[in-house]
Amino acid sequence: MASVTAAASAVAAPRVQAQRRVAPSAFVGAPVARRQTLVARPAHKAQQQQSRGTAVQVFAVRDGQPLDRPLRVAVIGGGPSGACAAESLAKGGCETYLIERKLDNCKPCGGAIPICMVEEFDLPMEIIDRRVTKMKMISPSNREVDVGKTLNEKEWIGMCRREVFDDFLRKRADKLGANLVNGLFMGMEQSSSDGPITIRYNLYKEGDKVGTPSTMEVDLVIGADGANSRVAKDIDAGEYDYAIAFQERIRIPEDKMEYYKDLAEMYVGDDVSPDFYGWVFPKYDHVAVGTGTVVNKTAIKQYQQATRDRAKVKTEGGQIIRVEAHPIPEHPRPRRVKGRVTLVGDAAGYVTKCSGEGIYFAAKSGRMAGEAIVKASEGGKKMVGERALRNYLDEFDRKYWATYKVLDILQKVFYRSNPAREAFVEMCESSYVQKMTFDSYLYKTVVPGNPLDDVKLLVDTVGSLLRSNALRARDSKSVNVSFGSKSNEEKLQPAA
Amino acid sequence: MQAVVSLQAGAVRAPRLGRVQRRVKAEAAENGAAATATLEKKDRKLSPLERGGTLKGAAAAGKDASDKFKNMAEGASGSAGPVLQLVEGRFMDYRWKGGRWDLSLFKGKDGEVDWDAVIDAEMARRKLLEDSPIPCTNEDPVLFDTSEIPWWAWVRRFHLPEAEKLNGRAAMMGYVLALFVDQLTGVGLLDQQNSFIGKVLLHVCVFAILLVRTTSDLDKYKNLVDEATFYDKQWNATWEGQERPSDN
Repeated sequence: MASVTAAASAVAAPRVQAQRRVAPSAFVGAPVARRQTLVARPAHKAQQQQSRGTAVQVFAVRDGQPLDRPLRVAVIGGGPSGACAAESLAKGGCETYLIERKLDNCKPCGGAIPICMVEEFDLPMEIIDRRVTKMKMISPSNREVDVGKTLNEKEWIGMCRREVFDDFLRKRADKLGANLVNGLFMGMEQSSSDGPITIRYNLYKEGDKVGTPSTMEVDLVIGADGANSRVAKDIDAGEYDYAIAFQERIRIPEDKMEYYKDLAEMYVGDDVSPDFYGWVFPKYDHVAVGTGTVVNKTAIKQYQQATRDRAKVKTEGGQIIRVEAHPIPEHPRPRRVKGRVTLVGDAAGYVTKCSGEGIYFAAKSGRMAGEAIVKASEGGKKMVGERALRNYLDEFDRKYWATYKVLDILQKVFYRSNPAREAFVEMCESSYVQKMTFDSYLYKTVVPGNPLDDVKLLVDTVGSLLRSNALRARDSKSVNVSFGSKSNEEKLQPAA
Repeated sequence: MQAVVSLQAGAVRAPRLGRVQRRVKAEAAENGAAATATLEKKDRKLSPLERGGTLKGAAAAGKDASDKFKNMAEGASGSAGPVLQLVEGRFMDYRWKGGRWDLSLFKGKDGEVDWDAVIDAEMARRKLLEDSPIPCTNEDPVLFDTSEIPWWAWVRRFHLPEAEKLNGRAAMMGYVLALFVDQLTGVGLLDQQNSFIGKVLLHVCVFAILLVRTTSDLDKYKNLVDEATFYDKQWNATWEGQERPSDN
């Protein structure tokens, strides 16, 4: 009787550690308690091909415990954030799997990268199609201001094609040791909080139209799968407000393209967008004309038409070659980490207000997450968990909070209404403003500047706002937008 | 012949036979069967409404008409050119030259620039472009900056009326409250100023009138507080109830 129960308990508790050996007494039909040995046990043929024959431990390992095999991390999504996370992890010695569903994905994007990104991420000049050194801001009453007078020859905004940019970063991660997997993430399960995470995905082999369902076991997961993140859903990260960005790529005649050779335009006005801006960005042989909005998404086509109309003369004779749209998060998700899963990039919601910039912060957050994991695991030798991931979150929040807050204040003050936008464009005329704006954008640091000039700037801003608001007609049909916790319909109010 | 015509006229019995028709009939009667019934419109006298009123030119636009309507009333051969119009997708005004308002064309009666007229013109231009946006072109850049209008013109036009209103309100409220306090406590208007509470209440009354002009202002301030703190709340949501490494 005792032996049966002993044997039963030995089998029923598979998580028994190797030291505790229960000697089963032999009798006919008794189950044999198998000692847990370090044997590679692929559950599926595909997984057998996947794993590099390293040992697979099936039982839970607490944070901080040393491992006898490298830490395994899966990065879901191979965009800038995923590729940079995979690169840091692979360089640090972790076994990294980078799962990307579409290796030639051309994500709809403005494609602008600041110059600090080129230095920090060692980007070659070949992936940058154009260097924009002039920017034009156009007010609702067509007042144009040339922003960029203060830039020197070494400062520019890089315009790139996302398919080229993402591909370069992914290939670099692959070369450094990350395993690039062409697959679509379907879901993940974790049997216990300290145990391994099983990832279910559809593997796309060469020329396959339909993926083969496969699984993979890893210790940590980084969700880098963009604004519609599946990983975020799986960890109940919560929702965020998002803007819808709509863009048309237009091929224009040579002489008109010459004007946009190194110039980008930004149109503001509530015909173009009630709470964002319309843009004309030059790409390698065409321009991208687009706009976006948060509060009135159903009218996006109308805003796009208005943007095209404003740029009508400058893009005359152009042909639309592609129409694309994508959501842009407005703020981070309520929950960015759960257990051993965290989010980076657009999946986490790291897009600034006012300018809608996301590429740099995506790449930087991916890198920071990777580096935090490598540091806490001491090169992949120890198990890590939520604490290390919270370190990454804290570091990112502390480093970039000031940038995000400043851009938020700018949006709240200057995107409220047409008079506010007129004041915005008027303020951008001053060289001090241009210098401050470009310094903070290109180098991602909020530079304090001369206090006397700051006071003068404040007085000028207030004066500009007062004058523009005074010039608004009593029966104006324009709208006022507020930026708070109200619903989108309530945020849009008529002026009169 | 005459008898036949008059008999016909009588038989038809059209009650409101205008003078024209009577003339026609008379002419037909005079000329006989070969009469041509030509209407002589130029002899017909039009009613005052049809004549377009008793005023002429710019005065016909109305009592308080803006420049734009006066120009329209004068017709195409107006004084100097188009006024605040969008012509072929471009903004045209005889005072808008090279992307700026030509201030010399805004001279008032005493030869000085009439800043109110400049403000009016810019307001109207912005409203026009807001209602019907036009494409932005390289050939017609807009260069006018509102800081070209001197600060005292803005103050005189926008701030002073508002200040007058608010001062009036503060004075009225202050006096009524002082009378009220006098009735309740017996302390006279001037003696109220000697007590600290009196001075505090006076300040509160004046500032309240300055800041809270209508009841909707209270909602506005609540919204401002909400707006100022909402983004911070969204960023800190991840740290709710969790210990933050940098706090240690």
